Amino acid sequence: MAARSQWTPGPHAWHDDLAPLSAADWNYDRAAHLLAHAGFGGTPEEIQALADLGVDAAVERLVHYEGQPNPKLQPFVESGLWDSSLAEFPDSRPEATDRAEEHGASMGIAIKPAGNRALQPVSDRFFYWLRATMLETRRLGYWWANRMLATTHPLEEKMALLWHGHFATHENKVRDYRKMHQQIELFERYATGNLRDLTIEVARNPAMLYFLDAQFNVKGAPNENFAREVMELFTMGVGNYTETDVRECARAFTGWYFDDLEFKVDADKHDAAPKTFLGRSGDFDGVDVLEIIFEQPVTAEFLAGKIYRFLVRDELSPALRAKLGKVLRDADFEVKPLLTAIFRSKDFYGPASYGGHIKSPVEHLVAMMKHLGADSIPGVPDFNQSTIAMGQHLLNPPSVAGWAGDRAWITPNLLIARGNVARDVLIPDMTGFRDWNFSAGTDDVLGQRLRDGYDIGAATAVSDPASMSTFDRVALERDEKFNTRISGYIGWEQAARKLIPTPRDAARFDLSVMVAAGGATSAAEAVDYLLWRLLRVPAAGATRDALVKFLTNELGTDSLERAKSYMEDALRMTAHLVMSTPEYQLV
Amino acid sequence: MTTNERLRDTGLSRRELLQLGAGGLGLGLLGGVGPVPPVLAQASRAVAANPTGKILVVFEWFGGNDGLNTVVPYGDANYYRHRPTIGIKEADVIKIDAQFGWHKSMEGMKHLFDDGKVAIVHGVGYDQPSFSHFTSMSFWHTAAPNSGNEYGWVGRTAAALDSSGTRQNLIVNISDSQTLAVKAAKHVPLVFIDPTKFQRGLFAQERAVVDTLAAQTTPVGDVHRYVLEVTRSAAQASEVVRAAWDRYAATANADLRLLDLNKVVALIEADFPTQLYYVPLRGSLFDTHVNQAAPHDRQLQYCADAIEGFFRELRRIGRADDVVLYVHSEFGRRVPENTSLGTDHGTAQVNFVIGNAIKGGQYGKPPSLSDLVLGDNLESTTDFRRVYATLIEDWLGVDSKKVLGRPFESLGFVKA
Repeated sequence: MAARSQWTPGPHAWHDDLAPLSAADWNYDRAAHLLAHAGFGGTPEEIQALADLGVDAAVERLVHYEGQPNPKLQPFVESGLWDSSLAEFPDSRPEATDRAEEHGASMGIAIKPAGNRALQPVSDRFFYWLRATMLETRRLGYWWANRMLATTHPLEEKMALLWHGHFATHENKVRDYRKMHQQIELFERYATGNLRDLTIEVARNPAMLYFLDAQFNVKGAPNENFAREVMELFTMGVGNYTETDVRECARAFTGWYFDDLEFKVDADKHDAAPKTFLGRSGDFDGVDVLEIIFEQPVTAEFLAGKIYRFLVRDELSPALRAKLGKVLRDADFEVKPLLTAIFRSKDFYGPASYGGHIKSPVEHLVAMMKHLGADSIPGVPDFNQSTIAMGQHLLNPPSVAGWAGDRAWITPNLLIARGNVARDVLIPDMTGFRDWNFSAGTDDVLGQRLRDGYDIGAATAVSDPASMSTFDRVALERDEKFNTRISGYIGWEQAARKLIPTPRDAARFDLSVMVAAGGATSAAEAVDYLLWRLLRVPAAGATRDALVKFLTNELGTDSLERAKSYMEDALRMTAHLVMSTPEYQLV
Repeated sequence: MTTNERLRDTGLSRRELLQLGAGGLGLGLLGGVGPVPPVLAQASRAVAANPTGKILVVFEWFGGNDGLNTVVPYGDANYYRHRPTIGIKEADVIKIDAQFGWHKSMEGMKHLFDDGKVAIVHGVGYDQPSFSHFTSMSFWHTAAPNSGNEYGWVGRTAAALDSSGTRQNLIVNISDSQTLAVKAAKHVPLVFIDPTKFQRGLFAQERAVVDTLAAQTTPVGDVHRYVLEVTRSAAQASEVVRAAWDRYAATANADLRLLDLNKVVALIEADFPTQLYYVPLRGSLFDTHVNQAAPHDRQLQYCADAIEGFFRELRRIGRADDVVLYVHSEFGRRVPENTSLGTDHGTAQVNFVIGNAIKGGQYGKPPSLSDLVLGDNLESTTDFRRVYATLIEDWLGVDSKKVLGRPFESLGFVKA
């Protein structure tokens, strides 16, 4: 077999050194390191193509991607779950039914003029949309993950993923997949653009406006939710502003709201009186305030540090952070010069950056498909369930602070989940798989009871009323006009009838062909090939030896030629074990 | 046969086993009934490893719970002046005394309070409070307000309980990701959220390789070293957690909704050596800026029902005397309601400490509703580290100065 590239972290002298890597120090291994951090990893062919370009051109191709064709990207195809009657969706079920009682209808659904549970269709409609937007958001997650895999601009998607976790909103609260979709497109459009412009766009983005309660931020009654987070989490970090700045900032954003998918300003609700913010005074509006924030030296450092820690490694010295901040500030918050500086630097190829980054679950799953040579995200296992099990629910970060990242990705439970997801991808459980989009979970029993002829009261009662929670008891006593539990079930049914099904196919790849093409002829060579292709950080010798012994046993021979007709599953188990190593979690 | 059944077969009570001590004893007893499966052997060692049996469970309500609408000062006209719309009406509170009453959703807590098991601590906070969820919670996690500490207060309590750092699974954190409060210098907290997924899926023939996964002895850096450590710890912990969960699932009262406290019951029932459990509530559902009534009512109901159900389960398994549960948030909320029928981030909050070992009643001075500070906020009257110190010293029996750096006066809510 041909000699393969070796793990080549640079010398310690490169640590924190932003001087560019010399052409002589460029090699295949460093190209692999670059693609793993600036994207989601790649096949040996993709890595070799970057290696052949040399470091400057390789970084140029990744950072300045705009002109490169991207033929495999697909638009998001909507299931058709939304209609305009849902535009003013109520914040809660009580609001939904109260509105109906007041106006005779709510969300386009009229109250029944007579009969039991006159408000049931209204309640059903409320739950319909909750389920519909949740289910469509799952499809949106699939769509985005497939873009990450298929794109020829991996850095664009990687950075969009960063901004999604940085300017975090979640569909659980936004309750509108269309706004989430619109936001992801914004993050792609500004992925490596100007950060001041992106922040202004985020402040005008309907998902964010709703998420941080902009509609309640009005003249005379400012709501501080966005004002606080824009400074604490999005631009400067805590400790760089006062509580007065928060209140003044909130006043500047008063009157900003949205109408469905469009940003609007209500001049009557905007507080146009002078404000004093971060030591400046004037009749500031939201854009003015953001521009003042971007004049603060700390903002460039805060954002440059965030980018670096997302792409390179969590450990970041104050000195390097200051240098990176200067690069971003000197470029007037254009991100491409900073990215170029990072990816060309000796520091990026130094010992602390090699193996210093824990892949996020989404990165992990997309990289897995890249490593295996699959060209789409599989339907089995389910992408969302898999990444949720590993601790990252795309389009639903846990809070406005996004995901904690880095070491928070690895707990005993989450680490085991990573190995299990690898197994489910490599050896999918095709016969045991059930599509969770078509199960209402614990409410499935309601559907069965209704079909068995139970009335709604009986169908929704628990078996032993004596042990019902006080919440259930109160709910039963209070709600005569509708039954929310049945609505939860009916809403799911109605949404699922319209939902475009997710294809439930297994990932398509062939490890037998792959190891043969890699020149392996023995079990040991097959293991060595897989370790080389899948891992950045080298595995322990003892792990390698155990894998060789395992594969030899499974094949019943050391010869791949002898075993080639039946070796696929044994190779897949080998790959599962490789992907379960601590080393596979790092790049 | 389960471990507990095997232990019962010996005719010895759990207490007697504890007095006999020695991990070897469990092995000897079990040795009489055939080969000891590794899981059960570990569980029997666990019996010997928890010397006092005293357990602290922290149930964290992230988001900023509105204490004034939880323990309602219905007797103070200022409350209704500040909250004309979202104030809980006198007719809707479950009265405690002439001044305070439980929010109607807190019926589960009322039952426990009536049994004398709940300490209500008023006005809990710290000086110069942060209005940021994340900053304020990090102060609570580290017990270092307007400062910091590399380790959490629960992690440092573990060090005080076991300075050698040798006790396995002393801390359990029921969470997606590790909570800062449990970060410890020597102890590796067992962090998990879904026991059914906390098991390495392996085909039989793969088992021979799995022990070598973390074989690397020369990590390339600190991050690599960390992942190697977690890999080793996961291998040890997952089987015992899974076994405990399976056993508990077979006997649990399925109608109780315990939120994530059910996992704590499962591990306690399995005689886990854990003395410190940390259970953050998922989501930030207490962050009620807007139209707060319905979501807050519901959230309180879920939490109070879960706490009542938790103690019901502990009684069923005979361990209610061994457990104290502590509830806190990162801050309370602004006193006046906002124009969105909600409340903004505030300062002092109400805490609860619950258990058979607790002297029920009200502690701490209720903050004034007429003399507000820091922009319409409550002035805290009780430093939260006093609550911590009382739990550490009076309940867990270790020196709280070691954990908190200086003495804090006990609130005296633990029975002598």
